[in-house]
Amino acid sequence: MKTGDLGVKTTTLEKALEWGRSNSLWPLTMGLACCAIEMMATQAADLDISRFGSEIFRNSPRQSDLMIVAGTTTKRMAPRVRRIYEEMPYPKYVIAMGVCVIQGGPYVDGYSVVLGVDKVIPVDVYVPGCPPSPQALTYGIITLQKKIRGETDR
Amino acid sequence: MYNIIADEKDKGGMRVITLDKKDLIEAMTEFKSQGYYLSSITGVDMKDHLEVIYHLHNFDKNEYLGVKVLTYDSKVPSLVGLWKAADWDEREQYDLMGIIFEGHENLRRILLPDEWVGHPLRKDYDLKKVQYVSMDSEGNEHVSFDEREGW
Repeated sequence: MKTGDLGVKTTTLEKALEWGRSNSLWPLTMGLACCAIEMMATQAADLDISRFGSEIFRNSPRQSDLMIVAGTTTKRMAPRVRRIYEEMPYPKYVIAMGVCVIQGGPYVDGYSVVLGVDKVIPVDVYVPGCPPSPQALTYGIITLQKKIRGETDR
Repeated sequence: MYNIIADEKDKGGMRVITLDKKDLIEAMTEFKSQGYYLSSITGVDMKDHLEVIYHLHNFDKNEYLGVKVLTYDSKVPSLVGLWKAADWDEREQYDLMGIIFEGHENLRRILLPDEWVGHPLRKDYDLKKVQYVSMDSEGNEHVSFDEREGW
């Protein structure tokens, strides 16, 4: 971004689009298990993620562009997660919240849990914890915003 | 008249009685007439036999009662005729423990897909044989041992 002497700012269209997208991430309510409680706390008044542009959780995948997969993804739920992901419009982003979603967590030896939701859908940001605190999820969202704006290496 | 094999109290003070499975319906009918409701059905795998434990609750007396039934051929009479609540509980026990409830009209799997092989909470269930679930566009689920055909 350049600032000229005339008080006019010039930027590229991509930069402007990235700035707009990163500051209006509308998340989808994809609460599958106990991490959803922390996700609700992140959205609620105390740690309001509206401050970062994630206005309100949408109940329809067609109105949202960020999927926070919060909670254990079972093998039976995985095809449904995949289908809901496919229903979201581009550009779409995914945050994997909690160790169950990252690699299976305490259910790693179980028979019914998908060991990592990244086998099902592509994941942008991983937020570890069991469950992650709302502050950690807020940090994950800020990291995703930086990633959209191209400010991080990964 | 039903025959009580064992009558004991557990750590929490709950009365737990053990019955023969042919006396189960008769005894449960009497407990129902005394005001007991079915709270839950649990299964335990003791390797050589299976145990089915029914938890009953009396709202008037605020009293719990455990009823234990041993089965060596994994078959137990169904209680759906007495309590409607037994329907899904018995389906869950069939799904995860493989206990067959005789007289249940709709004994299908309730948590796992219909094509799943084996009953996962049994001691002899092989966890190394991982099963993968997929879904077609109609919403029908398929189970496969091949990693490429599901998640």
